[in-house]
Amino acid sequence: MPTVEVEKKDLEKLIGKKFSKQELEDALMYVKGEVDAWEGNLIKVDMKDTNRPDLWSSEGIARELKGRLGIRKGLPEYKVKKSGISAEVDSGLKNIRPKAAYAIAKGVKVTDEFIRQMVQLQEKICMTFGRKRDEVAIGLFDLDQVHGNVRYYAADKGEEFIPLEYKVKMRLDEILQEHPKGKEYGHLIAKFDKFPLLTDSKGDVLSMPPIINSAGSGKITEKTRNLFVDVTGFNQEKINTALKIICMALADRGGKIESVEIKHKGKKLTTPEFGTKKISVDLDSARKMSGIDFSNKQFLSLIRKSGMVGKIKGKKAEVTYADYRRDIIHAVDVIEDILISEGFNSIKPEQVEMDVIGHEREESIYLDKVRDVCVGLGLQEILTFVLSSRERQEEKIGLKGEKFVELANPVSLNWVIMRKRLYPEHLGFLFRNKNADYPQRIFEIGRALELGPGNETGVEEKEKLCIVVSDRRFGFTQMKSVLDAVCSNLGIKYSISDSGNPAFEKGKSGEISMGKKRGVLGEINQKTLNEFGLEMPVSVMEIEL
Amino acid sequence: MDLKAIAESLSKIEQDSLKALSGGGKMNAAELGEKAGVGIDSARRAMAWMTEKNLVDLSESGEIMLGLTAKGKNALEEGLPEERMLNSLSGDERQSFDDLKKSAELDQQEFNIALGLNKRNAYIVIVPGKQEIEITEVGKDFLSGKSGGSALSGIENKDESEVGDLIKRGLVEKKEIIERKIKINASGEKVISQLGNVKERKYNIHGEVPKIFIGKKQPYVQFLNSVRRKLTELGFKEMYAPLVVQEFYNFDVLFQPQNHPARSWSDTYQLKNPKLGKLPDKKVIKAVKDAHETGGVSASSGWGYSWLEEIAAKLMPAAHGTAHSARQLIHNLKVPGKYFAIARCFRPDVLDATHLIEFNQCEGFIVGEDLNFKHLLGMLKQFAIEFAGAEEVKFYPDYYPFTEPSVQLSAKHPDLGWIELGGSGMFRPEMLENLGIKGQAIAWGIGIDRLAMFKLGIKDIRYLFSEDLNWLRNSKMVLD
Repeated sequence: MPTVEVEKKDLEKLIGKKFSKQELEDALMYVKGEVDAWEGNLIKVDMKDTNRPDLWSSEGIARELKGRLGIRKGLPEYKVKKSGISAEVDSGLKNIRPKAAYAIAKGVKVTDEFIRQMVQLQEKICMTFGRKRDEVAIGLFDLDQVHGNVRYYAADKGEEFIPLEYKVKMRLDEILQEHPKGKEYGHLIAKFDKFPLLTDSKGDVLSMPPIINSAGSGKITEKTRNLFVDVTGFNQEKINTALKIICMALADRGGKIESVEIKHKGKKLTTPEFGTKKISVDLDSARKMSGIDFSNKQFLSLIRKSGMVGKIKGKKAEVTYADYRRDIIHAVDVIEDILISEGFNSIKPEQVEMDVIGHEREESIYLDKVRDVCVGLGLQEILTFVLSSRERQEEKIGLKGEKFVELANPVSLNWVIMRKRLYPEHLGFLFRNKNADYPQRIFEIGRALELGPGNETGVEEKEKLCIVVSDRRFGFTQMKSVLDAVCSNLGIKYSISDSGNPAFEKGKSGEISMGKKRGVLGEINQKTLNEFGLEMPVSVMEIEL
Repeated sequence: MDLKAIAESLSKIEQDSLKALSGGGKMNAAELGEKAGVGIDSARRAMAWMTEKNLVDLSESGEIMLGLTAKGKNALEEGLPEERMLNSLSGDERQSFDDLKKSAELDQQEFNIALGLNKRNAYIVIVPGKQEIEITEVGKDFLSGKSGGSALSGIENKDESEVGDLIKRGLVEKKEIIERKIKINASGEKVISQLGNVKERKYNIHGEVPKIFIGKKQPYVQFLNSVRRKLTELGFKEMYAPLVVQEFYNFDVLFQPQNHPARSWSDTYQLKNPKLGKLPDKKVIKAVKDAHETGGVSASSGWGYSWLEEIAAKLMPAAHGTAHSARQLIHNLKVPGKYFAIARCFRPDVLDATHLIEFNQCEGFIVGEDLNFKHLLGMLKQFAIEFAGAEEVKFYPDYYPFTEPSVQLSAKHPDLGWIELGGSGMFRPEMLENLGIKGQAIAWGIGIDRLAMFKLGIKDIRYLFSEDLNWLRNSKMVLD
């Protein structure tokens, strides 16, 4: 979910209406924006809808609010003139980065806020909508430094230009290795023999998409008046959408948008092209789903408030919406929009009447009974994490080469595997509580995971009960009494055999069998106590439930 | 206090002690204990209590006694340096300076002292011309004749003149021992006369008593149990909630495209071992594939990409509770029905006061033929009342990939003010229609951690999994 920064006054100017802070916060719900923080007049807004990149700037928010607040009715409209400039897209880019879309914006007034908003919009689109520049990369250029028509092609790595932030010419492969942006995004093209390059008719480089612009035309300053926009990627429709979002923002700032003719394999394509799409909404289903019995007229009015237009045809409404709204893929997407326009808080909630009986899972009920037994034994329940480390689950208890359910992308050495047993976590707990009064008597009921190749997930999740007592006068015999009490109260039959468990004292520990289920019981030996930094004796029982 | 009241307040030990003192002279604790037939510790306590109640007169006298210093106590345990040297020489009669230092574990200073003393007593000789020490016959005699152990034992009974050296060496010191003696006074004698009237002893009911730590459930568990109970009372049925799930349930069934950024490594955990799980039957797989690619039987256009089974089969620790709702939609769904799960979820976060790497989510859904958006709002309002005691609610548009429309619930909690209590929405038609589910399903999730923190009175979220035994012991029961 992108967080967008907007300046209150700038936003008000774009909308053409002043707001109090509260009014603005309330209005932002129309764009699914939640205020994260106010810093003076600067608002940080979390934009929840990841499918609405058109909203990720002041211009986009203003565009949407103008409709919802009734300042503009129906579709937002944008005019495009032909620029006469053309772009050749070479077929050599086929596997590398084949698609491009271009536009021109003339007469733009570049201010600080404009630059900040354009950088932000560009970044949010490339990161979230464009999957970190993989699917969408955007470049803005000073049109007055671009000569004639442009050419986008797969260039030799030996070609050179001066990238932004640098003063000297660099080879394309050098940029990948040395330039910060090359290091960050180089992986997107590094495996190819040739790299994408955009040049003008003089052969001057505009950009190496999706990595870096040139230091010449690729540098936008307050003196820039006319802009050239470049978007590259793999899916024409997707990059067209990104281009249109950028162009709308430029137009909202007073820019006159002009199109570029793209020539690719003998075919011609003009971008940007602001089109519309139609979707049919069944009015009865819309009424049924919303629970609101709106008239056709009310429906159409809500549609216009949502930045769309509609026509009633029998029992259906044909709704026309701007084609950059790629989030509309089903009638429900339109229905949500009209409910938002209606205002969620002006719709009267209704109780769900459903004749069903609730109940817990039998397992939950059983586990809570086991808890009751433990509480009856005077034990304090604790909760530990399922994520653990090999150190705790293996090394410190004298085991080696154990197989665990293991994370592919751990973020900390402390949380790498999923635990197989609870007691090592409890020994860690005791270490952290050496200053608390003894005896210490604790228990936990929790999941422990093992590999289970036959299972649906290849994992066997077992519920285990672990009881740990640390007390000078408490040893094997006392813990066996505890085991006995637990099992007899739960009606579990068990038998004990000698244990070779290296964490436990030999002769004062045992393996427990309860049918197919297993467990362990006994006194923790000195070596293990030392590993966990414990001085008081500790006895443990752990069984599968 | 009148005499009768004092008499009633006396413990058995005090009564016996007082009787033992009656008509007699001064006694110390040992004498009192013997005469009253109680232990010396009890006698000492009785002396203190009776003095406080002004039944006896206390007199203190000082006496000089010999005692071990801390260094002396240590030497008594480990042996004096000179003794350690002789003991070592009794095994190996002739040793070099260095060997002897090692074998007797002496540092240079101790070695010098031991060498001087033993030489003075003719217990050892230095072998002429060599840096070697040899034990003498006198030394051996001394060792064999030494029965009472160290020179430091029984020091209290020795005369000061015998231990001058040890005092100089800082092993023994002179201490002033205060001896307390008590003698019964007039009120004490009067109280004895009252003892016959005492039927039952009265306790000091205001005094401190020992603390008992009871066995109890973890506070967060208590809270989750109450949430579970409320939901069942509202007609919800608990779902199966495994810790490890296929991406299929965590994402694909929920119509989250396979290249969605939320599926990336930085947002969710994935498993290295095992890697892949099994998917349900072919019909279900096809339904989900079609939903993603073309919208399937629904009127949707889908996401327009090619959906891969291999990605869906990947395993991960469940990242959200809705994964279990997704499974329920496919396995044994009853319509109409209400379902919930309180599920342990995992996200690659950093553990701090506001983030947990493992947390519980409370999620579920209601499915029925005639459900609509107003029911969704009605359900949220009911949750606000049940879980936050809030009568006032606000609804905000929200976004989830698997619901449309989506609503965020804010509730005015009586203590916390306005809080985000949960999220909700109607499952997308791409999901329901392709899975052949008739009607609508209202999915919901309640942010229970915030409520739990309030109920438990904690500011640091880590206390939900508290590692502090004292805190757990002192925590109050979670009352609804």
